Amino acid sequence: MKEIIAIIGGGIAGMEAAAQLLKFGHAPIIIEKGERLGGHVARWNRLFPDLTPAGELIERLTEACKEASIFLNTEVSLVNRLRDGYNIVLSNGITISTKYILMTTGFKMFEASKKEEYGYGIYNNVVTNSDLENWFNGNRDERIDSSSMKTIGFVHCVGSRDEKAGNGQCSKVCCITAIKQAIELKEMYPDAQIYCFYMDLRLFGKKFEDFYTKAQRDHGIHFIRGRVSEVSENIDGKLIVKAEDTLLGKPLKVTLDLLVLMSGMTCNPDSSRLASMISLPTDSDRFLKSEDNITHITSSPKKGVFYAGACTGPKTVPETLAEARSAALDIHFKIQES
Amino acid sequence: MMREIYPSGFNSFVMPFMLGMLFVLGWCLVGAFRVLLELPKEDRKKLALSFLNPKTMVKNIRDWFFDCLFHVKLWKRNKLLGFMHSSIAFGWFMIILIGHIEVFLYTPERIHRLWYPIFFRFFVAISDSTMEGAFLFFLMDLFLLIILIGILLAIIKRVHSRLFGMRRTTRGSLTDLIGLYALWSIFPLRLLAEGFTADISGGSFLTKSLNGLLHLFYSDPTNALPVWWAYSIALGVFMFVLPFSRYMHIPAEILLIPMRNAGIPIRHSRKGFSRLQVHSCPGCGVCIDACPLSTVPVNVRDTTVYLNRQLKRNNRKRIEEISDKCLLCGKCSAVCPVGVEGDKLRIAHRATREYGISADYSMIDQEGFVKEKGRRVLYFAGCMTHLTPSIKRSLVSILETAGEDYSLMDEDGGICCGRPMLTAGRKDAARQMIQKNTEIIRSSGASVLLLSCPICYRIFKQDYRLEGIEVLHHSEYIDRLISEKKLNISGTGLRYAYHDPCELGRGCGIYEEPRNVVSAAGVLVEGAKKGKESICCGGSLGSLTLTDEQRKRLAENALGNLTADSPDAVVTACPLCKNTFNRYADVPVLDIAEIVAQSSGRNNIKH
Repeated sequence: MKEIIAIIGGGIAGMEAAAQLLKFGHAPIIIEKGERLGGHVARWNRLFPDLTPAGELIERLTEACKEASIFLNTEVSLVNRLRDGYNIVLSNGITISTKYILMTTGFKMFEASKKEEYGYGIYNNVVTNSDLENWFNGNRDERIDSSSMKTIGFVHCVGSRDEKAGNGQCSKVCCITAIKQAIELKEMYPDAQIYCFYMDLRLFGKKFEDFYTKAQRDHGIHFIRGRVSEVSENIDGKLIVKAEDTLLGKPLKVTLDLLVLMSGMTCNPDSSRLASMISLPTDSDRFLKSEDNITHITSSPKKGVFYAGACTGPKTVPETLAEARSAALDIHFKIQES
Repeated sequence: MMREIYPSGFNSFVMPFMLGMLFVLGWCLVGAFRVLLELPKEDRKKLALSFLNPKTMVKNIRDWFFDCLFHVKLWKRNKLLGFMHSSIAFGWFMIILIGHIEVFLYTPERIHRLWYPIFFRFFVAISDSTMEGAFLFFLMDLFLLIILIGILLAIIKRVHSRLFGMRRTTRGSLTDLIGLYALWSIFPLRLLAEGFTADISGGSFLTKSLNGLLHLFYSDPTNALPVWWAYSIALGVFMFVLPFSRYMHIPAEILLIPMRNAGIPIRHSRKGFSRLQVHSCPGCGVCIDACPLSTVPVNVRDTTVYLNRQLKRNNRKRIEEISDKCLLCGKCSAVCPVGVEGDKLRIAHRATREYGISADYSMIDQEGFVKEKGRRVLYFAGCMTHLTPSIKRSLVSILETAGEDYSLMDEDGGICCGRPMLTAGRKDAARQMIQKNTEIIRSSGASVLLLSCPICYRIFKQDYRLEGIEVLHHSEYIDRLISEKKLNISGTGLRYAYHDPCELGRGCGIYEEPRNVVSAAGVLVEGAKKGKESICCGGSLGSLTLTDEQRKRLAENALGNLTADSPDAVVTACPLCKNTFNRYADVPVLDIAEIVAQSSGRNNIKH
């Protein structure tokens, strides 16, 4: 008989893991609270560093996991621990009995309006990285006026590495995302002046540094080291951003047509809720705590519960996919052992 | 007929009392002179003049009775707590007073002997059974009974402080405990001693009955002497430890009251008026429950009662830690039954710190900040309002809707109001900003200065010299616009829990106006702790050392108080409170300007 694996979360981690588990001959069940698979990535336009369309990845994954049982618009109401497994009660009334749970619950984007000083939700021309991707996807956004795109600013680390916002962790992907989005905008509006306000640039991944060099050399994007202190509006309805250039040691003020806030990743409250049901530990950053942060990142301390992707902390797309495969392999070997 | 038994009028058992008494008197006199000498000349003059002012003198006398003897403030807090303190204080006072009356009436030639009124019953005998003295005897027994009930309550309070409305009480120091046990034993011993001699010296319902009881066991009156010794020793011990224990508050408060009423400020962290305040601290611990920091048990030792103890001990390290950690919300000062100003003591201590670099803002040019001069209202948003742009936007919209003639003072950058520097104890830096801003305001020609941040409001109101210019917080201003019908607002029917910002409420005494505004815009609901007792949001810039993680717990505690009644939104009148609450609240957190702008219809923003 095929072994059932409950995968909670139908983002790219859940989809990739399901695809692998299907290959091993098991029976994964994906539980997704949204109306479609793909999570955050499905809302993205193109992915760094090769500007691969996110749609392609989602398409490939959807194809690969189509044999799995998929519950959309479904939430986990209750998880009970049995002697040798788990009982998962779903919001659609179905109960799943399984020995294996894979948590692929991902992250939640930081609510940019919590940093009121940046004016998200107050001024007309302030958007987040996610809003911009949505616009890149061809959806209308009245905050983005394509007829006037002369000066554009990006604020890095919005709600990341910010003790005051209650998120000390680095969200990993925003530096490179800002560079990617800046380049994309520059390609659309070659005359625009683009400013990136950063604390540090953390460009650790493959080709990230090249991307950064390209942004400066080929696209003339300005990188200013210093946090934005406040944003206001002038008489013409344009944004005025006050910041400090900490390399020059001088305060500066720029007038912008569009300000993009790089909202970071925070722990998903759904993960915390599930974690409390089966007493999974959470780490000091409030993300789920792996059995070991070096050798067993995809294992939980509880028997039969595994993790993949951003539920244990901010991750890039390739990292998430690699973890999903790794978790699938772990589960496969556990099934074979028993 | 009352007559004296001992012609000498002396017995060696009075010695412990006499030594203690002389010691305390000497100590207090020297201490009082020291405090007065440490005062700057102008403050001494102020104090001397206040004694000539009949109004202040009436207030002094009233406060001496109401604060020192009746403990009215404690009665207001909790009846049992009030009764306990006032029964001991007033009862003891009356026993001493009646003791003196007795000596004056019956043995007037002994009036100059300090011990006579205290041990009167040992030295006299009643020779006939006329009712002479019966009334005074009755009063003496009555007050002794009241004190004994007070002592009984005090013993119960040690175990069950919650009965007295106190969750936590102070842990006494060694001398506090010695003083406490001595105090507890004084009155039972007095009862016993007077009980022994009641058949000779006379007595009333308490002492006479005890005397009858004692005679069942002892018939020899010489048994009485050891008890009189014990009574005197208890008094002596109490008086010897008094200067080193919290009971120093008893004499210190007598001087504190006229100095407080004369309006003497704290100028130094340990000298003069500060020294007096520290010694006036009764260590009651009312400030422990009041302090927002004590939400986290480890912080209990950072409350004002412990600051006072460390100031007495001159433990510099702890004084520094406690002073820097404080949020300066002022709640300990507001609830203190004596009037110790915990926040000001801390600021005074911060002012003693030396900095390597002294601030110099002379390069800032005060020209060009106000673009449009000659307008009636000058609005200074301040840094915190700039960081919460929705408040500024709402207030500007209100100004427009009401058709006010206004201009902005810091639209394109401004100079800090100076309050953060002042709370950090850096008076000189603050003074420079005050001077610059004063010039800007004066040259603008405005007659009203409008502030939307209580932190700015407090310093503009209290430390700037802006005679002729009205300084208004936006809660006062909007309240006035509504009552003058310049602003029509239609109530939303939403339930708003109003949070009193520390700087606005306790800091400036503005409680009514924001409530009027909230009531006009919706339905006002209140947390259990409100007004003078409202809980600091935790974001206060008063604290120099609290981490964000520590502040989070304070904010959540304060929010719990506000949202207990499930309001639709939390409303405050301070951008910093809004900013702090917003991070942790499950309900929207809004400024009064925002709810007014939403319900006053037009959202016509000046562009």
